[in-house]
Amino acid sequence: MRTIFQCEDSVDGIFTAVYEAWDSRLGLANVTIQPGEGHTMSLFSSYCQVETDHEKAARVAETIRRKMGWEDYQVIYQAALAHDPEKGEAIFSTLVLGLAVLKQKNVTRKLQDPAVRKTFELSRRVGNEAHRYKMFVRFRELAGVEHNLKKGQQWAEREAGDILPVLDREEDGGYKIAPTEDRRLEKLELTEAHASLMFSEIEPENHILATLGEHFTDRFPQMNFAIYDRTHRECLVHPAGKGWVVLEEVDLEETLIRSYSRKEQEFARLWKGFVKSIAIEERINPRCQMNFMPKKYWKHMTEHEV
Amino acid sequence: MEEHIAAQWNSAANATQQRRGSCAAGFFVLRRRKWGEVFGEGSAGMHICQELSLFEKLNILTDAAKYDVACTSSGVDRGGDGKHMGNCTAPGICHSFSADGRCISLLKILFTNECIYNCHYCVNRCSNDVVRTSFTPEEVCTLTMEFYRRNMIEGLFLSSGILYSPDYTMEQIYETLYRLRVVCQFRGYIHVKAIPGADPLLIEKTGFLADRMSVNLELPTAEGLKKLAPNKTRQKILAPMRQVQKKLAENKNELMMYRQAPKFVPAGQSTQMIIGATPESDFQIISVAESLYQKFELKRVFYSAFISVNEDPLLPVLPGGPPLLREHRLYQADWLMRFYGFQAGELLNEKHPNFNMLLDPKCDWALAHLEEFPVEMNRAPYEKLLRVPGIGPKSALRIVKARKFGKLDYPSLKKMGVVLKRAVYFITCEGRMMYPIKMEEDFILRNLLNVKERLPIETQTYRQLSLFDDTFSVEGMNSSQLLQLGRGGDGYENDLSV
Repeated sequence: MRTIFQCEDSVDGIFTAVYEAWDSRLGLANVTIQPGEGHTMSLFSSYCQVETDHEKAARVAETIRRKMGWEDYQVIYQAALAHDPEKGEAIFSTLVLGLAVLKQKNVTRKLQDPAVRKTFELSRRVGNEAHRYKMFVRFRELAGVEHNLKKGQQWAEREAGDILPVLDREEDGGYKIAPTEDRRLEKLELTEAHASLMFSEIEPENHILATLGEHFTDRFPQMNFAIYDRTHRECLVHPAGKGWVVLEEVDLEETLIRSYSRKEQEFARLWKGFVKSIAIEERINPRCQMNFMPKKYWKHMTEHEV
Repeated sequence: MEEHIAAQWNSAANATQQRRGSCAAGFFVLRRRKWGEVFGEGSAGMHICQELSLFEKLNILTDAAKYDVACTSSGVDRGGDGKHMGNCTAPGICHSFSADGRCISLLKILFTNECIYNCHYCVNRCSNDVVRTSFTPEEVCTLTMEFYRRNMIEGLFLSSGILYSPDYTMEQIYETLYRLRVVCQFRGYIHVKAIPGADPLLIEKTGFLADRMSVNLELPTAEGLKKLAPNKTRQKILAPMRQVQKKLAENKNELMMYRQAPKFVPAGQSTQMIIGATPESDFQIISVAESLYQKFELKRVFYSAFISVNEDPLLPVLPGGPPLLREHRLYQADWLMRFYGFQAGELLNEKHPNFNMLLDPKCDWALAHLEEFPVEMNRAPYEKLLRVPGIGPKSALRIVKARKFGKLDYPSLKKMGVVLKRAVYFITCEGRMMYPIKMEEDFILRNLLNVKERLPIETQTYRQLSLFDDTFSVEGMNSSQLLQLGRGGDGYENDLSV
């Protein structure tokens, strides 16, 4: 009989389920992982609810990195962020292949294997979407900030360091995890001191906020910014001079996130003017434009604002 | 390491100045005064509107800069320093796409659209009656910083018309960059034009502040340049290019000895040339590009389909619009030369001097070299895989890596990103082709043409060629006719008719 491990739809949730599934000694062929809700229940299986445990998840992550290598870890990590009902199964099969069957590094290169192929595909999908948002995120300076993030919102327990540790390559070719303490935020303070908040809104398909944090924090270290993921009601927050966190179950006041400062409106006008004048009339090609920049991204971009 | 980089831009500027002694600065001030005396401040026979707002200036100077092709932000990996704004990633990032489908990665503007030169093809030539204006260095910095903060751009692309003299213009550009790097502490990408004819010292100083530098070749041959750009000469254009190349090599040694040494144009240099304004063949153009890559170590050569902005008896009339398909084919060939190990002489030769309009250069090459195919996917080396139509560097690498785990079959090839509709005629898996295929040029060509690459309307002008057959159709012709038609030694006559 199959045992299905149901877990939270997050990297740590999936990794905890992997830990439990391995630990259950049910036989790897009899086990499946289903992250999130909305799966069709199957009649002849037993179900097992998995409570997310960050320590177990961290141990799984460490094992993957040690036994399968950094490249595989990245592929699997990104695949776990994907929005896809079959990702649990694909990731688990890939892990079984890497940790139990082949017992070697870089198994995600074995694209002949259907499960690896699926994992690779999911990872690529997430990577591509994350890259698209590195391109198309537009920060807007908000007029009034203090009340932006409603009080009482839940802090995510996972913080920057836990989500994607920064790895430094050591002399011997291995990796060590950089201490995460300095990247943690004490508490979220958005008061008058942070008078200017650069705010951005996106509607991605996958959970990509964690992959954007490092990039934008490195780029704008002294800028307060927040990226709000409307699809998953998550918010990436970076207070100036600190690290970044992803907040969960965030609801924002719509009127406040739509009121831009005067300076913002002026630069939006300049930018629209620039985008218009840079196009060469003789070469107008909307299809080419939409190929590179699909219309679903236009909604939150300054230059396409009505 | 961060503080070195931050200090680098300060020290770089001073270091070069000291090398020449303090007289250098005085020299340029003097030069400027002299021009001022001769022409009167701010007048070179053009009208200048002082009252223009920043919005109007931006629109004018963007409009004037839009014919410059390069808008890449690649080639530098520079992390943030935790204090100041900006970083660079090696592959570069596009931030938007304009209505013509070209990427917007950098704030591409001219410093000024005033120009003392009279190049026939240029919208800013001095005999054109257009509104002239200039930015101040402060304005350029404000725009760059504010756009960058909003994640609209990767950095600045600064070009300029020639105001007063090449030296004066280059000095203005240098001032702008100095302000942006040292005063605003901007760590994003900067692409800057080296003005041919400017003092080498100024170009060197500017190079220490920029990430990429470019000098436009303008036209593929010296004769074309002489005809259409009477104020420019090939030597003057190549001189700064050579200078940058030499300095880059020198800088490489410096960096090897002292890691903290300031970096000189770390993303290398590029150039661009106009296609279709002069009667060069594609073979000439890619040969020029090849020698630029080999002899000048350029990072990129850009091709710009000629757009008729001026009415001029020396310029061709293009009723079908700019030669976009030809430009596309040149870029395809450029990629083949840079990433696929092809040489210009393999793609074209004196007998076939122009690209096939119906087939991309790689398919065209493969059809002419059927003796090299089929290629066995489970054994062929990487270099050989790269030469198969439908396989690129990424999928070739995936194939090589996956082969270590076992045999490959067609479904997994497809999943790896191989474009089977093109590759299927040229590959075998374990000695078998996917379908029974005749290794005949005629058969493969006909099938490849059925795949239908989306061609611009331009190609349809070939209808005019058929004299006796009203219903021109590709189907009714044999392969040699088709190839003739596509390659057509005279293919571009339409473009060049005056």
